[in-house]
Amino acid sequence: MNQTEPIPNSSEREAQALRDLENSWQTPRGMIGWLSCTTHQAIGMRYIVTAFIFLLAGGIEALLIRLQLALPNNTLLGPDRYNEIFTTHGTTMMFLFAVPMMEGMAVYLVPLMLGTRNVAFPRLNAFGYWIYLAGAIFLYWGVFTNTAPDAGWFSYPPLSGPAYSPGKRVDFWAQMITFTEVSAMCVASELIATIFKMRAPGMSLNRIPLYCWSMLVQSFMVIFAMPAVMIASSYLLSDRTVGTHFVNPAEGGDPLLYQHVFWLFGHPEVYIIFIPALGFVSSIVTANSRREIFGYPGMVLSIVATGFIAFGLWVHHMFATGLPQIGEAYFTAASMMIAVTSGVQIFCWIATLWTGRLRMTAALHFVFGFIAIFVLGGLTGVILASVSLDVQVHDTFFVVAHFHYVLIGGALFPLFGAFYHWFPKITGRLMNEAVGKLNFWILFIGFNLTFFPMHILGLKGMTRRIYTYGSEMGWELGNILATIGAFIIAAGGVVFLINIFLSRNRGEIAGDNPWDADSFEWAAASPPKSYNFEYLPVATSRYPLWVAASERTFVTGLRNDRREVLVTTLMDAEPHHRLVLPRSSLWPLLTALAVTIGFIGSVFNAWYITYGSILTGLAFVGWFWPRLPVETKP
Amino acid sequence: MITQNMINVEHLEPSDISSQSPLWWGQVCIVAIEATMFSILMAAYFYVRLSVDVWPPPGDQFPHTLLPSIALLPLILSAFGSYWASQAAKKNDRTGMLLGMGLNIILATVFFVMRIIEWHSLNFNWQTDAQGSYVWAFLGLHSFDYVADLAFTIVLFFIVLSGRYAEKQRLGVHVDSVVWYFIVAIWIPIYVVIYWGPQIVETQ
Repeated sequence: MNQTEPIPNSSEREAQALRDLENSWQTPRGMIGWLSCTTHQAIGMRYIVTAFIFLLAGGIEALLIRLQLALPNNTLLGPDRYNEIFTTHGTTMMFLFAVPMMEGMAVYLVPLMLGTRNVAFPRLNAFGYWIYLAGAIFLYWGVFTNTAPDAGWFSYPPLSGPAYSPGKRVDFWAQMITFTEVSAMCVASELIATIFKMRAPGMSLNRIPLYCWSMLVQSFMVIFAMPAVMIASSYLLSDRTVGTHFVNPAEGGDPLLYQHVFWLFGHPEVYIIFIPALGFVSSIVTANSRREIFGYPGMVLSIVATGFIAFGLWVHHMFATGLPQIGEAYFTAASMMIAVTSGVQIFCWIATLWTGRLRMTAALHFVFGFIAIFVLGGLTGVILASVSLDVQVHDTFFVVAHFHYVLIGGALFPLFGAFYHWFPKITGRLMNEAVGKLNFWILFIGFNLTFFPMHILGLKGMTRRIYTYGSEMGWELGNILATIGAFIIAAGGVVFLINIFLSRNRGEIAGDNPWDADSFEWAAASPPKSYNFEYLPVATSRYPLWVAASERTFVTGLRNDRREVLVTTLMDAEPHHRLVLPRSSLWPLLTALAVTIGFIGSVFNAWYITYGSILTGLAFVGWFWPRLPVETKP
Repeated sequence: MITQNMINVEHLEPSDISSQSPLWWGQVCIVAIEATMFSILMAAYFYVRLSVDVWPPPGDQFPHTLLPSIALLPLILSAFGSYWASQAAKKNDRTGMLLGMGLNIILATVFFVMRIIEWHSLNFNWQTDAQGSYVWAFLGLHSFDYVADLAFTIVLFFIVLSGRYAEKQRLGVHVDSVVWYFIVAIWIPIYVVIYWGPQIVETQ
């Protein structure tokens, strides 16, 4: 297989090949072209930009919450508006920002890192984005028409049931879940197929970049966790709209079952957000330590183990519901066990950093911030895993502090690091490093000022979700500090946006590999061409760009006049066959519209499930209908 | 470009109809999603059942077991039709694909008619009580998958019948069978749960 042969040294043929590649991978111009686009770079950017807009929306909601809680007996927001805003804040951050952002980064980065030209199912990828967008618009349509959900981001019945939450607010929440979960499942399926079958030749399992490992594990978690939340939200929706009795205790249903099913999703969800961030950290640490990662097998096994253990923890969200003690003991032990797998990774990164030749980039600052904040959040997690302590602080601000430490510290800090790290790849220009470090310190200080006092507020008994409190409670200092901190975080966000806009136009030209990093995305142009690589690369090492230039190997023999990629075997990534990927298509958008009609309509009239299904079926037939003339030429 | 080490892949097939295809893995992912969904629902069914003393709730008939048991025969045989078509798709045997899919479609329709008859005889619906909600959810969700995949098989049948198909459509026939095996296989535990469950865990 591995023959060495000279490339035809004819510049004319070379130029023709490039023109062919350009032609077959380009998206048609104009509105129709934009709507029918199926390239992973464009879809990934759409996910990232949309999710970022919802980060800002969720951030504004957080500021409103903090303004309301800044002073005792505040009347800025009434109780009803406050309920809507904190529910929308949690819902937006979990479902419209965190998961889609992680999926979008993966859609952009994974094919580049694997050395291929697109994801395995480009049209499904476009479909997933349109469905996510429809769900997000649907929820915010509710927000702007006084129909924002108001029963908390997990909408427990009976509060969220038909008796106590009349109107359409909870229905909007439940159906938005369906939209975003469908979208996440689309991305998960295509990432699994891509990582399994479209890796560069030679990229055997023990050479897959750690980021791709983490996305593989995350995708499997999506596949096994998301069906649970779709069942939970469907329980709620069908009880509310067509009169089933899944969570109605009067007719044999069980509201506690809703909590079980929701958290069977909800706990893995935390890791679905957090595991991609571990991948970002590994990439940033490797590139900026300028050495191989310490303990690669241990890292991979820890990610996989985290994926498994995450499914055995959900009951620790329900310790206050009076479950059997044997169950509580099991879930306490499992919750503490996950600290081991996280700890292994933290120690491997520290070992890599300790022995590396550090380059203190802005991205690496965010990694250090991540380690500090995440370890603190992890420690309060160990506290909360203990039943006796958990029951004391259950539903207090201690819990709010804990999950913001793990989610912002564990996911948002690495994400900002990732923005600084991969921005030059996406735009071709470096972000300003000095402003980046300033950005980090503002966020780090603002974050700790906001959330550290919440630990103390929680221990003093301040419960979650109260819209105000009396001045006799002694909670003023912590609350005012938290509100000041929240505005410092907002200032950090503004600094970040300014840095983005200035660097996009005036930043230093980056070149292909500004960090001298090890993985394939840095071999592509910055920004990458629509076909990513002129010749697909071959992985001759776990760090393919760190081998001598004379040993670098490439793939030849793929046709350039159609969207051809290489399929390799699952374990050893031996070339197996060639695959022609679909071109641009409007069908993903049309199918997404058909699904949207069914989903949104069924909130108001159950018959729309039937209409939507028929429309979707027709759209799928259009999607899969053979294009004539049928191409059979090899 | 300068002289470098190259791997030439020109000799590789431009398509492949087997489990090496990414699409096959995509179908496996769909199957995993659906299997998870039905497994959680089955667990939830027993969770609800074990929290009450009398099951099925008073007034609900015991589901009949005769017709659903007989109906398993055409259902399981339809999977063989699907297998036949998927093997024929690998060999590009048009007659085999048509016969296999035809057998699949006819037997699947027979099963579905039997299901409708049985479904119609239930004396409770989804609004009656929790057991009604679950039985209708199982029947409804499984029928949704069933009809969707049957419809796609029919569409594929006509595409192959028209003769205007290529490797992509043959791959479609092949991976369609993956989902069909799942739809057949998952029905067996659901059948045990909703038809035999109330008899087996009957209360005194």
